[in-house]
Amino acid sequence: MIEILACGSGLSLQDGGRHGWRRYGVPAGGAMDARSMALANTLLGNAPEAPLLEIVQQGAKIQILQDMWLALAGGDFCSDFATGCAQPVAAGQRLIFDKKATGRYSYLALPGGVQADSWLGSVAVDVRNGMGLPIQAGSRIMSQGAQPTIVTPQAVARRIARDQQSHIPGQEIHLKLYRGPQFTSFSSVAQQQFITNEWSVSTRSDRTGYRLEGLVLEVPASIASEPVLPGSFQVPGNGQPIITMHDGPTVGGYPKIAVLADTDLDRLAQCVPGTKLTFSWQT
Amino acid sequence: MIVQPYGDRGVLLASLNAQQRSCLLHSLTRHLPEHCQEYVVGYDSLLLIGICVDSAQVWAEHCLAKHLSAAEGAPSLPPGARSYTVPVDYNGEDLEAIADACRLTVAEVVELHCQSIYSVHMLGFSPGFPYLQGLDPRLHLDRRRSPRNRIEPGSVAIGGPHAGIYTVASPGGWHILGHTDFQLFDLATARAVRPCAREVFSLSPGDQVRFQPKGRL
Repeated sequence: MIEILACGSGLSLQDGGRHGWRRYGVPAGGAMDARSMALANTLLGNAPEAPLLEIVQQGAKIQILQDMWLALAGGDFCSDFATGCAQPVAAGQRLIFDKKATGRYSYLALPGGVQADSWLGSVAVDVRNGMGLPIQAGSRIMSQGAQPTIVTPQAVARRIARDQQSHIPGQEIHLKLYRGPQFTSFSSVAQQQFITNEWSVSTRSDRTGYRLEGLVLEVPASIASEPVLPGSFQVPGNGQPIITMHDGPTVGGYPKIAVLADTDLDRLAQCVPGTKLTFSWQT
Repeated sequence: MIVQPYGDRGVLLASLNAQQRSCLLHSLTRHLPEHCQEYVVGYDSLLLIGICVDSAQVWAEHCLAKHLSAAEGAPSLPPGARSYTVPVDYNGEDLEAIADACRLTVAEVVELHCQSIYSVHMLGFSPGFPYLQGLDPRLHLDRRRSPRNRIEPGSVAIGGPHAGIYTVASPGGWHILGHTDFQLFDLATARAVRPCAREVFSLSPGDQVRFQPKGRL
């Protein structure tokens, strides 16, 4: 068991998300960087999508209440615990997430996964829609066990992931995009500007969407409400694209100029405000 | 019908006419095409997640051909569709402004809103939020120029050609006619071990809805 002393910029319970409910208007939610979620869980022998803590850099403080194993993946924000590894911690120890490093989200897994109630099959916290238990300072987080579920004689020191989180971007990132459903409705100037301009991630970015700042694109008329998936570049009236993320709405009426490849969602999610983005088209 | 890829995650069937949309939707409610993990319903579009363009095209054409060869019009109600009467307290904050904008009296606005039989066109915006089709054209209004920051769940509203009911507290730009206790999204049953869609969400696409002033039931 661990206790949350401070949530810092944000701390929530996540898992693989609630799938199969989009047609009822329910976004899937779930870990913003699914790759890091899976890595943290796998290091402890958990199922890849087992419930765990998603920690936004920075400021979170966690008190360990019993001797146990933990695993951390994603952003390297904790001075007391390296990312990409699983190791034992002792009762009384504190984990403080105050280290400056690239990335936006870090994932803390507990042996067997965090114990929590599910809404529509997922523990993922969706504050606006009232699903999932929000975590506050003082919240205690229970796990299924204290030991990794794969216990080997070697599991006495620590387990280190081979892949050291190479998908977490630095100050700039290049993404290969698919043309969106309304790509051809944009003027040829707007099409050209979108793909050749350098964009930056706005501070007004969160689990529902990442706003981009750069040129003002000429925008075609709104469309009848159409299904929207995470990773869609919608362009509202102000001409500045918004990339829908995991908690974003399931339908929308803004034209979509581009769509991110499925495997790039994790990379984008790890971009902090100010990150420079350049694009090219998938061939 | 336009069949186009949605990135590498699915296929969008767009520009569907009413008959195509309803035919494909009926088929989806019975069973999903192979490899399709889930679908999302749009105003005149359907998104199939997990399927490739070729399979989606073959599936859609097969559905439509089968339907057309049956030589019948689109059935008005999909299998399992239900009818509901929603009791409304017509005490909404925009009631008088709506009447003014539509050049009607408040009583006429209420009368027109209750007179129609609406069909649930799609669910979206927030969990269980129904886009209801069938609003009298005399009540069609553009959305509010400045959306409200918070609209309470149970608010009965109109926006453009649609009527709707807010299901969770959220920002919104529709005009509020009144309020209802009719529950569209049940968080308690959402928390069940095996949640059942019909218990969590009162409405599904194709269902019919009527409004009735509270006290006149």
